[in-house]
Amino acid sequence: MNMKSQLLGLSSAVVMALAATGAQAGKLEDVLARGKLIVGTGSTNAPWHFKGADDTLQGFDVDVAKIIAKALFADPEKIEFVNQASDARIPNITTGKVDITCQFMTVTGERAQQVNFTVPYYREGVGLMLKEGGSYADYAALKAAGSSVTIAVLQNVYAEELVHKALPEATVDQYDAVDLIYQALESGRADAAATDQSSIAWYITQNPGKYKDAGYGWSPQTYACAVGRGDPDWLNFVNTALHEAMTGVEFDTYAASFKKWFGKDLPPPAIGFPVEFQ
Amino acid sequence: MESPTILELIWSARWPILYGLGTTVLISALAIAGGTVIGVGLGLVLAYGNLAWRFAGRLYTDFVRGTPVFVLVLASYYILTTIGLDLSPFQAGVLALTVFCSSHVGEITRGALQTIPRGQTEAAKAIGLGFGQTFRYVLAPQALRLGLPAWINTAAEMVKASTLLSVIGVAELLLRTQEVISRAFHSLEFYLLAGALYFAINYAIERFGSYVERRVATD
Repeated sequence: MNMKSQLLGLSSAVVMALAATGAQAGKLEDVLARGKLIVGTGSTNAPWHFKGADDTLQGFDVDVAKIIAKALFADPEKIEFVNQASDARIPNITTGKVDITCQFMTVTGERAQQVNFTVPYYREGVGLMLKEGGSYADYAALKAAGSSVTIAVLQNVYAEELVHKALPEATVDQYDAVDLIYQALESGRADAAATDQSSIAWYITQNPGKYKDAGYGWSPQTYACAVGRGDPDWLNFVNTALHEAMTGVEFDTYAASFKKWFGKDLPPPAIGFPVEFQ
Repeated sequence: MESPTILELIWSARWPILYGLGTTVLISALAIAGGTVIGVGLGLVLAYGNLAWRFAGRLYTDFVRGTPVFVLVLASYYILTTIGLDLSPFQAGVLALTVFCSSHVGEITRGALQTIPRGQTEAAKAIGLGFGQTFRYVLAPQALRLGLPAWINTAAEMVKASTLLSVIGVAELLLRTQEVISRAFHSLEFYLLAGALYFAINYAIERFGSYVERRVATD
C-alpha cells in the first residue's frame, strides 16, 4: 500500500468517525428528489472511463452508470460525473461526495469493510495479446515454446510472478507504460503482451485485423460499483438495476455497450427458468 | 489504416491540453496571489506582532509548513465536508495551495524584514516617521529586494504542487495529459509535452521575477 492510499484511508476513517453521528434520509429518496445521479468515476482508463477525441466522458463504467440513471429517471443522461483518481474512490463514497462509484473497482474483503459493493458487472482477468499472423498461434503455442518466448508486461512488483502463473518458463520484459508493451509487441521485441483482458479487447477493436487474444485468461478479479454503507434500500435499488441490465429488460443496452467496448457479442440469457438458479 | 503522426495526435489533443494549461495557470495564479497577500500579513505578525499574535502566527506557519501539500489538499476536500463546508474540487485545491503558499511567504517576509538592521527602524522613528510610514518607505522596499528570489522559488513550487489536485479530480494539465494518453497512447511524447509546458510556466515566473528584481534594484 503506497503512502497516498494510506493517507486517503486515514482521512476517510476520520471522516467516517465524524459522520457516524449524523442521521440521514434514504439515499434513494435523496437522489430522486435531486433529479440526477452523482457518479464517481475516472477519466484516464480506456475502455472503462476516458475522454474521447471530442473530450466527452465515455466507456463501459460510464455506460453502467447510465443504466442506473435510466432505472431512476427513465433518462440515462440525468447524471453528474465526479472525476476522481482511483485513490479517491473510497473517500468520495464515505464522505458522500458521490451517490455511487463505478470505476473498475476490484472487489476485495478489505474494501468491503469500508463500502458496500453492488452485484458484479464484469469479471476482469489477465490475458495475452498476440500479433495476427505472428510466429505463435495461441496460448498453447506460447506455453510449448518455453523460455524462448518473451512477454511484455507493465512494470510491477508482482509482474514476473503474474506472467509465470500462465507461462512458467517465459522470459519477462517489464515496461514503464502500457503503450510501451504494445510497442514491444508491434516491433517484435516481445512475442506477446500480458495485460488486462479488457485492455486487450479494446486495443484489438481499435486496431482491427492487427492483433488477437491468445485465448487464455487468469488471475480473476471482480468489478462492481460501490455505495456507502448502512443504506440497504439504495444498495438494493442499484443491485436490481444492474441485475436487470445483465439478465432482464436492459439486457440489450448492456450487451450493446459490451460489444462496443470489448468487441464481443453476448448471448441473451436463456428464457424460462431464471439463469441465476441454474 | 495509417496511424497518425505524433504531431497530428498533439494537434487533435490541443483543446484538452490548452484547457489543462489554462486551469493550471489559473490555480497557480490564485494560490500565489492569495498566498502572497496572506503571507505578507503573516510575515508582519511574525516580525512585529506582540507575543500572543506571534505565537498564533508561529503555530499556523509551522503546522502548515510541516504538513505535506498532498495532506492539505485532502484535508480541504474531505475534512471540511464534515463541518458542513462542501467545497468543489477546484475550490478545495486552491484553498489548500493558498494556505501552503501563505506559510512560505510568511517566513520569507519575516526573514527579509528581520535582516534589515534595527538601526534603520530607530532612525526612522528619530526623524518622526510612524510605523506605517517606516514600513512603506524604509522596510518594504528593502524586504522586497531581499525576499524576491525566495518568493519566485515558492511561486514555482506552487505550479508544481498544482499537479496534486488531479487526485481530487481537478482537470489541470497533468490530468488532462493523462486523459489524452489513455486515448491516444504515446505516453513519453505527451509527458514530455506536459513537462515542457510546466517549464514554460515556471520560466515565465522566473522572467517576471527578474524583471521585478531589476525594477527594485538600488542601482
